[in-house]
Amino acid sequence: MSALLEVAPMSLSFGGLKAVCDFSLELAKGELVGLIGPNGAGKTTIFNLLTGVYTPDVGSVTLAGKLLNHPERGLRPFEIAAAGMARTFQNIRLFADLSVLDNVRIATHLRARSTFWGALLKTTAARKEESRQRSHAMELLDIFGLAGRADEVARFLPYGDQRRLEIARALATDPKVLLLDEPAAGMNPQEKIALKGLIQLVRERFGLTVLLIEHDMGLVMDICERIVVIDHGVVIARGKPSEIQVDAKVIEAYLGAAPDAAGEAGAGEAGAGEAATDSGAKA
Amino acid sequence: MSFFFGLLLVGFVQGCLYALIALGYTLVFGILQFINFAHSDVVMLGAWFAWKYAQWMGVSFSVISIGTSLGILGLSVLSCAAVGFTIERLAYRPLRHAPRINILITAIGVSLFLENFTQLPYVFGSRDKAMPQLLDVYAGFDVGGVRVQYFQIITVVFAFALMALLSLLVYRTRLGRAMRAISFDTRTASLMGIPTGRVIAYTFVLGSALAAAAGILTGVAFGSLSQPSSTSWIRFGLKAFICAVVGGIGSIEGAVAGGLLIGITEQLAGGYISSSYADAIVFGVLILVLMVRPSGIFGVTMREKV
Amino acid sequence: MTGTLKGLLPIAIGIAILFVFQAVGGPSMFGAYQEDALLVIGINIVLGLSLNIVNGFTGQFSIGHAGFMALGAYAGGAITYYGAIKLWGSYPPELPPGTGDLLFVVALVCAGLVAAGAGYLVGLPSLRLRGDYLAIVTLGFAEIIRIIITQTEPVLSKQEVSQHSTLSLFKYLGGKSIFDRIPRVTNFFWVYSVVLIVIVVCYRLKQSTHGRAMLSVRENEIAAEAMGVHTTRFKVRAFVMAAFFAGVAGGLYAMKLGNLDANRFDFQRSFESIVMVVLGGMGSISGVCLAAVLVTYAPYLLRDVGLDQYRMVIYSLSLVVLMVVRPQGLFGMHEAWTVFAGEAGRRRWQSFIGTPKRWYLGVRAYARKVVGT
Repeated sequence: MSALLEVAPMSLSFGGLKAVCDFSLELAKGELVGLIGPNGAGKTTIFNLLTGVYTPDVGSVTLAGKLLNHPERGLRPFEIAAAGMARTFQNIRLFADLSVLDNVRIATHLRARSTFWGALLKTTAARKEESRQRSHAMELLDIFGLAGRADEVARFLPYGDQRRLEIARALATDPKVLLLDEPAAGMNPQEKIALKGLIQLVRERFGLTVLLIEHDMGLVMDICERIVVIDHGVVIARGKPSEIQVDAKVIEAYLGAAPDAAGEAGAGEAGAGEAATDSGAKA
Repeated sequence: MSFFFGLLLVGFVQGCLYALIALGYTLVFGILQFINFAHSDVVMLGAWFAWKYAQWMGVSFSVISIGTSLGILGLSVLSCAAVGFTIERLAYRPLRHAPRINILITAIGVSLFLENFTQLPYVFGSRDKAMPQLLDVYAGFDVGGVRVQYFQIITVVFAFALMALLSLLVYRTRLGRAMRAISFDTRTASLMGIPTGRVIAYTFVLGSALAAAAGILTGVAFGSLSQPSSTSWIRFGLKAFICAVVGGIGSIEGAVAGGLLIGITEQLAGGYISSSYADAIVFGVLILVLMVRPSGIFGVTMREKV
Repeated sequence: MTGTLKGLLPIAIGIAILFVFQAVGGPSMFGAYQEDALLVIGINIVLGLSLNIVNGFTGQFSIGHAGFMALGAYAGGAITYYGAIKLWGSYPPELPPGTGDLLFVVALVCAGLVAAGAGYLVGLPSLRLRGDYLAIVTLGFAEIIRIIITQTEPVLSKQEVSQHSTLSLFKYLGGKSIFDRIPRVTNFFWVYSVVLIVIVVCYRLKQSTHGRAMLSVRENEIAAEAMGVHTTRFKVRAFVMAAFFAGVAGGLYAMKLGNLDANRFDFQRSFESIVMVVLGGMGSISGVCLAAVLVTYAPYLLRDVGLDQYRMVIYSLSLVVLMVVRPQGLFGMHEAWTVFAGEAGRRRWQSFIGTPKRWYLGVRAYARKVVGT
């Protein structure tokens, strides 16, 4: 089976700075892949390239055979969303002054079947669309345990709820591929465990393919089938979690070159764990 | 040809005045990111204060001594600086963290207040008045068929001296460094121990002083003052604001370049196309420049980080 | 189809009631002075609500609303003025009942369409420009519109009209001096029918998926785009809609006053509309309506109590005070009935009015901000 999401070696520089260099990726349908790397490695930039916020200097992004982003002909972010790619934001970007329900309902707009004029005339189609959107949004909020807060203003939600609302909102676009940018940042251990379950649940329920940026190594190692590690915009390792944990280059990237960094596997594993808590604390 | 150079000269002088006012807009916008609509009223106040002080000093409409002229100028500039300081304290400072549209409305409110308060009968009155000639406006000489007035030379020299002083202040002094730091990132600047409140107050004082100078020079050049609430004052200030935007708001060089560009464009358009369309052409230039360079000629484009 | 009819029903009923009210002479029971105030209030409500679509819903900073109003006023005025001369040969132009009312409606719609066309043009820069840069461009467009109108030739009398082709009549709008003798057809029924339509349209828009898409542009453009909202389309749509209604308001205004002076459509009038939007609370329909009533009626009141001279001073000062005291506007982003509904509403009502202690605390906080460094 060919890959659902295909990224041909893609690069992007800002002025003289090479933010992303020859990044390539293939995601098969249903996969859950982690994208990790130290702070400033270029992970969010990759998300921005995938979702059309930036246009790559070279390379391309293809989703289910449809060309999404390319140096000459990049789709705009809303077109990419319509093609089936949804994302969350590292620095939460909710529609802060709107209600929780509205946040999710707005994301269902791109699948709306009522016209602008229909809404003004309040036609039968428009009424149906409204109730369809409401029930779809409530369904998603229910999954994320936010149904009871549907009428609250998003700004006043606790931090963890805001992160989960972002995921619910992204799901409302009915995506094929879901990009999660540090969904666990700022969550407490219990919330993280719940989040782990949630990600797996929605993935099975909606047949999603997930690409996950996360600093919490425990979470990443637990739920990802494959992991891609980047540093300074370059992929330094790919593989199963168990392989990544002992990869000398990864350990070096997180901890800096140590004289015996490539030495024992056990020491390396401990090192990676330490790095994780370190960056987790920073976030 | 002398017609062309004549227009060029008038445009250049006018551009210098615009630049002086534009600097006030640019400084405030650079630091607080809002259009200080009350700035054009400070220009108006500058001219009217000069008129009032001249009245008090019993200055008639004949030419007077340089000392008296400078005295009136200085007093009026100081008064406007005080007004700028007061406006900032009473109206803008309490709104420091409010949404920008609120500050904009406040600015409009302040502007309306200044116009309508000063045109009350016991302040300046609601009629146009003749401006005392602080200088002999008509004296001058001819260069190849172009009439050059001493007053124009004085205006240009004076304007450029003020602009040079301002850029020295902004780029060479502690206060200037603080101003630039605040315009870059107010929060971080205040975390670094910069007294943002005081620096912002100084910015208003400086901008208002420049605006007052421009207002007086304009008043003297025209020989008459429109009543305080006349839209011609706002329109004048608005054009100066356009200069700041065209040049790239937040940039001192931009304000000067924009001022000269708009001043000269306005005169040439008025002379060769139609004086009634001159303003429309100025706005057209603004729209064109912004469509090509959304942050103006010298402006830096800031992209929101995703 | 029945759904559409059901959707039109509230408007139809409302217009029917207004019609009956007008027919039995209801508006004149307010007296001429108050009736005039009511008309101005209605027109300002339309203006405020239309700008609310751009500034309040979509969050685009437009401060050139008077330009659209001017276009509508002159287009509407010209159509009824020249239309009455051409169709019925009356001079000074008058509209006969029945067919005349039809022409009036046509003029209003055309006024809206002309303005909407300009709104499309002004909306385009919004795709590239943000915040204050967009604001100044909209202001520039409005000034250009006003200046172009100012340059039109004096209006033609009945004899002169016959010597000109219908299309060339648009060069003669009296911009240089004054456009006089426009048929004064606007009355309570027409103004409030338009008000009703605009309120229903705005409310339905706000409650629909399309309105929410506009709100999302205001809230966070990047997130809106990432969630599949065609942000540019909604920005342009907002501009076009707002311009259309502003044009209609302009048409009503022209045919209420009977004469037009291009200089009345300068930026101060644009500011007036913004004040209504911000004072009412960005995006709040009932708030904007109430603000329009307050802002329009206050001058009448001050005139009545003999403070006419201080009218603008008081107005400007209260503007500043309100922005300091209540930056979110009257109702924030909510509607009046949701703000004051239920137990939470009662508490909000109290905080809305405040108590002497809260007033004192507010003044103290203000003073501290003023004095502090």
